[in-house]
Amino acid sequence: MDEWQNLEVGQEFETGTLTLSKRDILEFAAEFDPQPYHLEAEAAEASIFGGLCASGWQVCALMTRLVSDTFKDQGIAIQGIQTIPNMQWKIPVFAEDILCATVAIADCNRDSQLLVCDIRVRNQHQKIALTLSMTLRIAAPQSAPQSAVRSTDL
Amino acid sequence: MKNSEFIRSRWFEDIPVGEFHVFGSHSFTEKEIIEFGKKYSPETFHTSPEAAFDSEYRGLVAAELHLAAIWMKLMVDYMERFATGVQDGRRNGAGVSVRDMQWFKPVRPGHTITFTYEICEKLDRRVRDKWGIIRSRNEGFNQNNERVFSFEIDILAELAPTVKPAAER
Repeated sequence: MDEWQNLEVGQEFETGTLTLSKRDILEFAAEFDPQPYHLEAEAAEASIFGGLCASGWQVCALMTRLVSDTFKDQGIAIQGIQTIPNMQWKIPVFAEDILCATVAIADCNRDSQLLVCDIRVRNQHQKIALTLSMTLRIAAPQSAPQSAVRSTDL
Repeated sequence: MKNSEFIRSRWFEDIPVGEFHVFGSHSFTEKEIIEFGKKYSPETFHTSPEAAFDSEYRGLVAAELHLAAIWMKLMVDYMERFATGVQDGRRNGAGVSVRDMQWFKPVRPGHTITFTYEICEKLDRRVRDKWGIIRSRNEGFNQNNERVFSFEIDILAELAPTVKPAAER
């Protein structure tokens, strides 16, 4: 799984799409973000969002899924997210919105095995819902398990 | 009770820079780590204890965004009890942006993460003349008091209604 060695700065990937159902929004909100504008249509209409919308953290989690699946298709194994230096929620994501993302390679450090991506998540109207920069750790070629990260952890 | 009602009804202007709270703890179970992983981060070290053993983590670990989602869960619970009004549904605003979100150590089944926040800044920017922006620093510590997670988040808080000058002749 060392396909990532071939990545070039400036290269862009289009992820697949995910459709967010009302049920998805309500389930995530009930478990992690039970605020009125994620749970009740009426309260949501009176809120700053203007309608029932997904938790920003659900949008962010879905972004990680889109990115993970895309890199997997490229033969690149993500070992974890190191940092998200910055992220902005631009517009709400509503039920039945279809999300996809553009992932641009901003930096690729082969020594530290870090991959910096600039990511834009957009809806079916091509409006950007979420933008962020994200640094991913990538598996070392083959001998990955021995490169013992954080060996002091239980 | 009185105190919590007072805090709950705070406007942007009433929220003090420097306010610090230890606002909640959560123990991660294997089941919930796997459920979250299967939906959002399907790498094997988030979804399969057996396969995770062969990963660099040597065992199952929680997805990074699972930490953020649990932070939100505990924060909503905290706000309902003590802070700006989830319950009146007006003054609590949306998250705008995040900075420097970092994960320092893996979170494994059975680990208990305790979260803190500190109000670090009130920005000058106004949104639709109705909202100010509160910047807070948030951190998560495991049961050994090791920092595992931190970030800053900017959140809208409603401005106090402007009092019109009373006397116009």
